[in-house]
Amino acid sequence: MNRATLVRKSLFRKKVRAILLILSIAIAFFIFGALGAFYKAFNSGVEVAAADRLVTVNKINFTVTMPLAYQARVAQVEGVRNVSHASWFGGYYQEPQNFVQTFAVDPETYLIAYDELTLPPEQREAFLTDRTCLAAGRALANQYGWSLGDRIPLLSNIWQQQDGSSAWDFTICAIFDADDDAVPTNYAIFHYDYFNETLAFNRDQLGWLIVSTTDPALNAEVSQAIDALFANSPAETETTTEAAFTQAFLEQIGNIGLILTSVIGAAFATILMIVGTTMVLAVDERTKEIAVMKTLGFTAPSIFAMTLGEVFLLSLLGGLIGLGLAWTLVSLAAESLAGFIPGLGISLDIALIALALMVGLALLTGLLPAMRAMNVQISTALGKL
Amino acid sequence: MTEDLRQDTLYQLDHVSKSYTRGKERVDIFTDLTMQIGRGEFIAIMGPSGSGKTTILNLLGGIDRPSAGEIAFKGQRIDNLGQGKLATWRAHNVGFIFQFYNLMPTLTAIENVELPLLLLKMSGKERRRRAETALDIVGIADRAGHKPRQLSGGQQQRVAIARAIVADPAVLMCDEPTGDLDRESANSVLETLQLLNTELGKTIVMVTHDPAAASFAKKELHLDKGRFVEREALA
Amino acid sequence: MFRQSLAVTLINLKSIPQRPGMSIATIISVALVVGVLLGFSAMANGFRATVQGTGSQDVAIFLRSGAQAELNSGLSRDEVRLIEEAPGLARDSGGEAIASAELYVIVDGTKRSSGTDANIPLRGVGEDAALLRQNFELVEGRMFAPGSNDLVVGRSVQREFSGFEMGEEIRLGNNNWQIVGVFSTGGTVFDSEIWADLGVIQNLYNRGSGVQTVRARLENPDAIERVRAYAENEPRLNLDVQAEQAYYASQAGATSDLIMYLGWPLSIAMAIGAFAGAWNTLYSSVDRRTREIATLRAIGFSGFPAFVGTMAEALMLSAIGGLVGAAAVYLLFNGVSASTLGGSFTQIVFSFAVTPSAIIAGIVMALVIGFLGGLVPAIRAARVPILAVHAD
Ligand SMILES: Nc1ncnc2c1ncn2[C@@H]1O[C@H](COP(=O)(O)OP(=O)(O)OP(=O)(O)O)[C@@H](O)[C@H]1O
Ligand SMILES: [Mg+2]
Repeated sequence: MNRATLVRKSLFRKKVRAILLILSIAIAFFIFGALGAFYKAFNSGVEVAAADRLVTVNKINFTVTMPLAYQARVAQVEGVRNVSHASWFGGYYQEPQNFVQTFAVDPETYLIAYDELTLPPEQREAFLTDRTCLAAGRALANQYGWSLGDRIPLLSNIWQQQDGSSAWDFTICAIFDADDDAVPTNYAIFHYDYFNETLAFNRDQLGWLIVSTTDPALNAEVSQAIDALFANSPAETETTTEAAFTQAFLEQIGNIGLILTSVIGAAFATILMIVGTTMVLAVDERTKEIAVMKTLGFTAPSIFAMTLGEVFLLSLLGGLIGLGLAWTLVSLAAESLAGFIPGLGISLDIALIALALMVGLALLTGLLPAMRAMNVQISTALGKL
Repeated sequence: MTEDLRQDTLYQLDHVSKSYTRGKERVDIFTDLTMQIGRGEFIAIMGPSGSGKTTILNLLGGIDRPSAGEIAFKGQRIDNLGQGKLATWRAHNVGFIFQFYNLMPTLTAIENVELPLLLLKMSGKERRRRAETALDIVGIADRAGHKPRQLSGGQQQRVAIARAIVADPAVLMCDEPTGDLDRESANSVLETLQLLNTELGKTIVMVTHDPAAASFAKKELHLDKGRFVEREALA
Repeated sequence: MFRQSLAVTLINLKSIPQRPGMSIATIISVALVVGVLLGFSAMANGFRATVQGTGSQDVAIFLRSGAQAELNSGLSRDEVRLIEEAPGLARDSGGEAIASAELYVIVDGTKRSSGTDANIPLRGVGEDAALLRQNFELVEGRMFAPGSNDLVVGRSVQREFSGFEMGEEIRLGNNNWQIVGVFSTGGTVFDSEIWADLGVIQNLYNRGSGVQTVRARLENPDAIERVRAYAENEPRLNLDVQAEQAYYASQAGATSDLIMYLGWPLSIAMAIGAFAGAWNTLYSSVDRRTREIATLRAIGFSGFPAFVGTMAEALMLSAIGGLVGAAAVYLLFNGVSASTLGGSFTQIVFSFAVTPSAIIAGIVMALVIGFLGGLVPAIRAARVPILAVHAD
């Protein structure tokens, strides 16, 4: 037996109570871990945004197109290393419900802009040369069970070909991965030219430009220069960093962060109260035992430490169990949700915040009972009988 | 004070006063109490309820401090030690035995006995060995793995005695150790105490209401109105 | 037995104030669970009410086949003309169909709450547009003048976005607009839109004579079938024809379902935490009253009243918690305005709606927590042995 045994035994003196407390703490940390993972994945677009990448959209709104000629003009701007462009295709596969995120892009410059995308050299070559090639992301290919060589017709809910059809035929000649799990691969890209020349309307227009600067320090300058280039034209532009653009888009959905923080806050408020009041009660219940320990020669600081240790043990047990549950759930969900929410997982920083919360919880709920335990007066407590 | 005297004297109390304030009122329990307790003594303290028996045990045991005066243990003053020092002093020098045993309900008998050893520098193995020996001395080694709830009052009190002696303190403070026991269990507990006194040389200070219990001691002190009246034991 | 139970229950309830800390912790934890559940359902219900309340049964909306949303659709002037000839459409005295060809583009507005840009639909409409929206009402100012840069804004847009004050000039993209009126359609999705003259929008956005949708009044709701048959048999038309109400109903589902897919599991998880808390509280309550319960047993009470008494305490605490949670959500959130990205990629402004059925669901959840949390402690109370009279 040692002091740790003492701490453990006094925590589990009432087994049901200890288990219930651990359960409620575990639930709070489970909620924290799961929501944290989802929130992080949801926001990963902001985090994986390259520092030197700018997005230029039509000033009216990013859904409004602009002339194809803009690409060449922006390429002339000083500080610009690469300019690519993409257009929203609004694709679906077979049924309108089978939504497929698809972009018509300028292939060569696109792969330079998004150098985090990786694909074998021969597939890269195939994608660059074959006009009807569809390069599908790994997550998307998995979602629909596509493999190299498959012929896939994709329908657009926006665009039409001159013959009135809204279906384009593709061959999957490349499947790309990303060098980081948080980078989404749940979309497909194909040649803008193949798309543009068949279009019934809105030809020679592009959706948005992806501009890589030679140095992130030049971002502000380059943005201003690009927007100045098109000022007072029919299609004025607005250039921001990729991160800012993504952030603004996410904020359109609503203040998800606030909602999730409120829920986590409510979960933690619950356990703070439950654990706090129970621990005060637990210490009050054994005032006499504490008095006996003090009589035997345990000093006030060591009583304080052991009581606090008990709450730490409780908090860590519950917290780790909850985090483990969250990890299990998130790992199970990650596979099936890879197409919708890429990069789902309990990252190191979530685990570290959780650990800090466990310590915080233990301190908040443990300090008062530990003080009460420390201040137990031997003569009054033993006199009580 | 001669060298000789210091050798024999375990406790030296000089002009000790103890008073409590209850609201505005001050209650004096002792005023100017001077006395010695020698090594190897077995003293029974008797007296009416509220006369201050527990109070004197608390002062001797280093749980409480006098309002005035000095208390020395083996020539060292203990009345002026801080709370922390006093706690460590208790761990090394005093064993306590209570009327209601006060064992830790979550710990087994042997773990209860081991408890005070956590305060001394000692390996886990050594602690276990000494706890076993202590249980053996009080004759309850066969119940080492039992929780207090599974033991009778007499058995619990034996475990409590084992806990009190395990750190090998010089003195045992017993507050009505047989107050909650039947005659038979009481006698066997008292015999154990006697044995500890005679064989192991433990100094014992025992508060009791029971003259029969008191008769196990070598010396009886009667406490009344803050004064001790000595009476040599008959037995 | 009933009188015994009543007596013990009363003793029990009266003793709650002796355990204030844990009782309040239980009440608040149940309140938080109910609060989370109601918060999410107020969001989902508010959104659903706004979207599903939009559109009428006797208005048909025509989209290009496969377009799914107005933004994606495109119709030529010829198609519009053919649509207006469809049988089953209501006609005015001159024999013209009551129809509105509309062009829907997205512009950026600045959200008041976050100061960031968000998508607002700018709808180019003709003269009949107002006739085709139930409860359309000009709250302030006047309608836009044809061919002008006048803008009328929905009331919700004004509430959630800055810069749309009556009489002000606003720049959207590279065009300046004059805000001349504010309209309301009684809290439907249209209130989240801004309207201008169709011809002006076509011109500014280089759409020629193209539009995206046509809305037309039907002779009666059943006439939709005739209209649909006509569109299918006309080779020059390739359309999806839907009753406007059905169109919006299908758009409400995904978002509000998603909110509840998040809301339910979260509140159930939290309920498990609160359940553990309630159990714990009642366990302590029974613990503290062991002696009292045993005394009652000793003087002849049976175990059942002890069960009832503990259960009553559990249900009482959780019901209070449920009511507190519901009241708090109602006071804090009911009617609060928010906006999110809707099915057509634009902001839909809605108000949180705490509905009676959601409140009932919340209270039921609270009582379930109380019942399950109280069950084991109550059984334990019923089984307190008489010998425990002597307990510490
Ligand atoms: N902490 C305290 N504050 C105030 N008064 C106290 C305190 N502790 C003890 N007293 C009082 O001091 C007196 C002596 O108490 P003590 O406990 O020493 O009596 P006792 O002789 O042990 O009595 P008993 O035989 O009933 O155990 C009593 O009057 C008691 O009320
Ligand atoms: Mg006493």
